[in-house]
Amino acid sequence: MFALLVIVPLLAAALLALPLKRFPNIVKYIAFAASLVSLLLAYLVFSYGPFTTQSFNWFSANGISFNISIATLPLNMLLLMVVSLITPLVFLYSLGFMEVPSEQPRFFFEMSIFAASMMLFAISANFITMFIAWEMLGITSYLLIGFWYHKEHAPTAARKAITTILIGDIFMLAAILIIGTTYGTFGFSAIMGSPSSPALYVALSFILIAAFTKSAQFPFHEWLSDAMEGPTPVSAFLHSSTMVKAGVFLIAVLFPLYVKADMLGIILVIGLVSAILGATNALTERHIKKILAYSTIEDLGLMFVALGLGSVMAAMMLFFVQAFYKALLFMGAGYIMKANDEKEDIYSTYGSSTRKLVFLSIVIAAVSLAGLFPMSGFFGKDAVNSVASNMVVYSMLLLIGFASSIYIFRWLFIPLRKSYESGTEININYKSTPRSMLIPMFILAALVFVADYAYLKLPGFLNGSYSIALLSAVVGNVIAVIGIIVAYRVYMKGFRAKLSSTNKMLFNVLYSSRAVNAVYLYIVGVTMAFARAVSAFDFSFDKSIYGLARSVITSGNGLRKIVNGQTNSYVFAFVLGIMFLIVLYVLA
Amino acid sequence: MIPIIGIMLLLLSIGLAVTIVFNEKYSKVISTVVSLIVMELAILLLYVFLAGAAGSPGSISENYMYYISNFGISLNFVVNPVSLALILMASVVSFVTMLSGNVENENLKVSSILVLLFELAAIGLFASGNLFIFFIFWDVGVVALFFMIYLLGSANRRMAAIKFIMYELLASLLLLFAIMLIYFNTPLHSFDISYITANYSSIPVGTQALIFSLFFFAFLINMPVFPVHLWLPDAHTEASTQGSMLLSGVLTKFGGYGMILAFIMLPIANEFTPVIAILAGFSAFYAAFVLMTQHDIKRIIAYTTIVEMSIVLVGISAFSTLGIMGATYAMLAHGFAISMLFLVSGTIGYMFSDRDIRSVKGVVRNSISTAYTFLTGVFATTGVPLTAAFVGDVLIFIAAIQKFSLYGAIPLFSIMLMGAFLYYVVNKSILSTKDASKPVEYVGTSQRVGFSILLFFIFLFGVLPFIALSIFSNFSI
Repeated sequence: MFALLVIVPLLAAALLALPLKRFPNIVKYIAFAASLVSLLLAYLVFSYGPFTTQSFNWFSANGISFNISIATLPLNMLLLMVVSLITPLVFLYSLGFMEVPSEQPRFFFEMSIFAASMMLFAISANFITMFIAWEMLGITSYLLIGFWYHKEHAPTAARKAITTILIGDIFMLAAILIIGTTYGTFGFSAIMGSPSSPALYVALSFILIAAFTKSAQFPFHEWLSDAMEGPTPVSAFLHSSTMVKAGVFLIAVLFPLYVKADMLGIILVIGLVSAILGATNALTERHIKKILAYSTIEDLGLMFVALGLGSVMAAMMLFFVQAFYKALLFMGAGYIMKANDEKEDIYSTYGSSTRKLVFLSIVIAAVSLAGLFPMSGFFGKDAVNSVASNMVVYSMLLLIGFASSIYIFRWLFIPLRKSYESGTEININYKSTPRSMLIPMFILAALVFVADYAYLKLPGFLNGSYSIALLSAVVGNVIAVIGIIVAYRVYMKGFRAKLSSTNKMLFNVLYSSRAVNAVYLYIVGVTMAFARAVSAFDFSFDKSIYGLARSVITSGNGLRKIVNGQTNSYVFAFVLGIMFLIVLYVLA
Repeated sequence: MIPIIGIMLLLLSIGLAVTIVFNEKYSKVISTVVSLIVMELAILLLYVFLAGAAGSPGSISENYMYYISNFGISLNFVVNPVSLALILMASVVSFVTMLSGNVENENLKVSSILVLLFELAAIGLFASGNLFIFFIFWDVGVVALFFMIYLLGSANRRMAAIKFIMYELLASLLLLFAIMLIYFNTPLHSFDISYITANYSSIPVGTQALIFSLFFFAFLINMPVFPVHLWLPDAHTEASTQGSMLLSGVLTKFGGYGMILAFIMLPIANEFTPVIAILAGFSAFYAAFVLMTQHDIKRIIAYTTIVEMSIVLVGISAFSTLGIMGATYAMLAHGFAISMLFLVSGTIGYMFSDRDIRSVKGVVRNSISTAYTFLTGVFATTGVPLTAAFVGDVLIFIAAIQKFSLYGAIPLFSIMLMGAFLYYVVNKSILSTKDASKPVEYVGTSQRVGFSILLFFIFLFGVLPFIALSIFSNFSI
């Protein structure tokens, strides 16, 4: 139960944020302090762990118990470490980033719950606990993506996210109930020890769908790029350690079941497709944060590829190191956007190198993403490359690596153009960036190097094995360097203009976002058309019952005319009746 | 032993009389106080029940004078776990309706009288241990709501009220017919529910099937489930906020409770369960699709009622202890959630003088509490964990999967359609910007208090489900 304490400070901070609406200054520091306390507690868990599963009864009905169950197995501790490290940094960054005092209580309230639910997710050891955290993540991310509901596209982006996530949630709930009914238990370890059954295949495929929606994998990936409407700290948080990592993590936890059910092929294919789509879209996108969002889709795709190739170790290696460079890149994007009056197009942002030290830390993150040797990103990408036994998969991974080093340096080089002078507005904006936004970036830049340590520690920690193959490592690095050189030639030296004739065609091939969104809209359109047909039926059904009632009234009105009060017609009817009876009598 | 049900009903009758006699000025205060005391009595009833349940099989019965002694009709009240949960819900919902449902503060006297009358009917009905008084309370409730629509509704109210009463009269007729058939077919000619439950086998099998089908259609109309749902959307669109809250929150539970009674009294129901489950599942999807083309917030929420009650029927049709527990829990949760949603939409309607999602924009800009309460209502309707609906959904679908194997999980996906559209509503009207600075009315304190009471119960039964589940500790069918 000790591990559960990790989430307590953040929940307390969230509760404090509600009534303290009038004192935003206090609220934000409370939230930040709570995240530090959580980090400390996570450290204690780490040093005394690993603990095995502990559970207590939440409720039980008719013999089925629904437990809150937590564990700090190595995999749990890994995610817990990532989340608890990133949370204070993101909170610190938010202290400077969220300038409007009236927004701060709500922001820190939602962020605290977001962080707490991810920590709960990290330590959950059964489906019930996991599902609570899973849904809380979905809801808080929905609220945070639509945080600035006064912006034009934010509510729509938030709805897109929650709709996709809702699909996953319902599939997940169905899977959990199927598993619970089949095995009579919800515990991860108990189910993994049980024999396979036909119902398990259904449940596992449902969970896979849910994981793909959460981790933004094909065909559910487009919500993640729209989610950029949220504040930048949210993006930094969401892409590095919370939310999107949940899907991959869950599949990693349930990995033995997928091996048993022989479903790794699907995971591999979907991961590969998503990685390719992410990389190609990132190459062509112009929105400073969406490039990074597509890059996250690519990274997550690579993690699924590693899982599909049968290596939890490789997936977790990338999982771990990706958090640091991606958080740093997003913070850099927020820093550049803030100085450029919230402009989002990379072609209208300038002067990112105004503060040399900050720029250096962004470069470190970019190099890490490209997968060059001294940075931790290298180990992540190389771990995935090294498990690719298949030549086709391996060459595709190299191609994706090449593309990612091009797009990240495109992202880096274009805002670098110098169109500012000392004393201009942009220059002053850069110089006046709050220090609380810069400190976490420096810390993360250091962590990108420190994460190299994972290469030594992680295999032992997860009981996996991973060692660098020299040839593969060199090939990966050379390709990344070539990618950087290409990006330098094209985007720094102005070769882009010469490419313009082929650009349009290339663009259409690579930029699939519009096509995917069109497919989404088509599906929504078909559903709505069907709904309209059902509704039209409902309406006519109502009208036909109304018509039935009308016809009763009409026939009543017709019959009423018989009662006209004239004696002769009554006598006529009487005689007619007598005659009818006589005829009846005679015939009988 | 304190006769709590008797005191509750007596208090409500006295409150009713006092409200009728006194000036309009006092009617809201009197009726609010009365319903508050009744709510507290209901909580006391829960406590007494739980204290009793520890020792003996949990049921409380109170028997009063013979009402029509020649036919063995007595005012006989029996509280079983299902009815206890619903009494608790009905008394809370009625209290909140009384306190904050009358957003416009108009027609205070008439509305107070009708709410108290309806509360009397609801508690009497859920507690009745006798089919005859069940029927009487049923009709009192229907008539109270009829007047609530007919007198207090919006422009097109007469039409909707007549439609409502026509459907409900048909239900009453079927119900009366079924009760009479039971009376003449049991050896002792009894209306007593426990007696019928014990002696159902003495009724010929064919007659049992006939009685069950009569019950089934009567309660189907009331729940309502496709194909007899058509009265509900119109009734909601035209009813006052209070009418809508009671209609969806409590009146639809008459049908749900009756359905559970019918299943328990006549186990022949087991032969029809696959058909019933298919009908219920179909109805859930049907209502979810119709929901997606609506524009009036109240109409949208009305269709969510059909979805939810269809899911309740899925749980009942599983016909197991777990299924009945789930159905009861879902009804409990749905009562709180839906009355909160109707309170919110009534408040929105009052603020903007409009309820169309195409023209209402940016509720959050005008009233943060209204906006986020609506959002929480959406969570509570879609069955997010830590809201009460989650427990209900989980129990219902586990029971359904146990009974119908994997097919039992299919109706769950109707929640997906419903939820997607509800988030669309939130996106359009609640969490969005306001384009024009239209003048708006401000939300009163009483509405906010109402929101918080209902939110409290939604989260209470969501976070600590064992409170409500412990009353089922000795329950099995």
